Amino acid sequence: MSAPPIKIALFQCRWCLYSPEDQAWVDNDLPENIHLVKVPCTGRIDPLFILNAVQGGADGVMISGCLPEKCHFKEGNLAARRQLAEFGSFLDYIGYEQARVRFVWLDLQDRGRIQQELTAFETTLETLGPAQALATRASAPMGGADE
Amino acid sequence: MNELETKIRAEAERLLSEGLVDVVIAFRQEDAPLHPQPAFFTQVEELESLTYNGMCANNLANYLTRYPQETRIGMVVRGCENRSVNALIVEKQHTRENLVLIGIPCEGILDWRRIVALTGENVLSVEEKDDSVIVHTRENTFELLRIELLHPSCQRCLHPNPLSADILLGDPKPEGDPHLMRLRIEALENLSLEERNAWFRHEAERCIRCYACREACPMCYCTECFVDHTEPRWTESGVTPAGMQAWHIIRAFHQTGRCTSCGACERACPMDIQMTYLTDKLNLDMADTYQFEVGMDAETQPPFATLTLDDKNRFIAQGK
Repeated sequence: MSAPPIKIALFQCRWCLYSPEDQAWVDNDLPENIHLVKVPCTGRIDPLFILNAVQGGADGVMISGCLPEKCHFKEGNLAARRQLAEFGSFLDYIGYEQARVRFVWLDLQDRGRIQQELTAFETTLETLGPAQALATRASAPMGGADE
Repeated sequence: MNELETKIRAEAERLLSEGLVDVVIAFRQEDAPLHPQPAFFTQVEELESLTYNGMCANNLANYLTRYPQETRIGMVVRGCENRSVNALIVEKQHTRENLVLIGIPCEGILDWRRIVALTGENVLSVEEKDDSVIVHTRENTFELLRIELLHPSCQRCLHPNPLSADILLGDPKPEGDPHLMRLRIEALENLSLEERNAWFRHEAERCIRCYACREACPMCYCTECFVDHTEPRWTESGVTPAGMQAWHIIRAFHQTGRCTSCGACERACPMDIQMTYLTDKLNLDMADTYQFEVGMDAETQPPFATLTLDDKNRFIAQGK
């Protein structure tokens, strides 16, 4: 009997994937165990979003954004870095492995890197096993606009 | 009545009678000897009931945000309350010109739970004499050591003296030892991941979601709290494990760089849940990473409200 698939929530800044092929892959061909949340900027990501993903049953959360100096909104990602980095270590403090929250900053030449990162992250999560540190919440209706 | 109380009353009377303030926020003795209540004096005649002693457990800065900015407020502040006021001024919740701070170097707040645990519940009066506290109960009289009754947050207090008071009553107290807070947090950090998680779960699972911690906190002034949102519903609102954990995590995290470690949340908690181990950890992180301490002045923005490109070295996943 195989273990249940590892579930990942991917928060993706809509500007961070420079190559259209990468964006098309993320939009259309993501494996089923990866749930995509597209945000206008990493600065939009409230720690509450991450917690909701964690409590919603994700075994890991990946956040992909632009390099600090390349934010579409000048400094949204700087605000995100301060908050989310601290939130990651805060979760670790209360017993949720820091490795389960991963930040990836993508650059112009990082074509195809998002796939590699997701694969690597999934491998990490497989060794860690399913997340159990925090209680799971009852399922809520999925947010966001239907496309 | 103690000497300090007389001084505060005289000061409050002067402020009100000279028309310098519209309201004086202080404490009033009501029926329960262990629980003086926050009081809002607008008339000189009302000042008879003004009290101040070690049992005054609330953080009065909490009431600053309940008045419009134009209201001129006189307020009794201890070290932590002064820092809370500073933090609120940074967040533009009141203007400094409209505040008169009556500063009191604080000897620490007595934990009523410890008193009740040692003397039983029928407490008639509490008297403070230097280093000892004399508690009269219906059956007996106890003489207790003040230092043993201090609330844990006050034992760890760094700055008992008001930093920017307009009027200072009483002699300044020695500053606290910064290692005490650090020792406690480091002890927790040194536990294994599972032990830390067990500790967190043990504290969070007793929560009854009364939000007394929120109501007691001067920095929790949002008109709509994230737990009260219904569309979208950010957290489970019932007394469920996920809901309680989410409340504790996010409540603490919203205090990052804003909490003054006054411990009002813990004193307000009916379930005796520890919460400062969360906020103290965040405060220490802010101090270590950004050399920021909350409320030391009324200008410096908290770290999350400022941003620089120089944080580069704290990248979590570096691009190749």
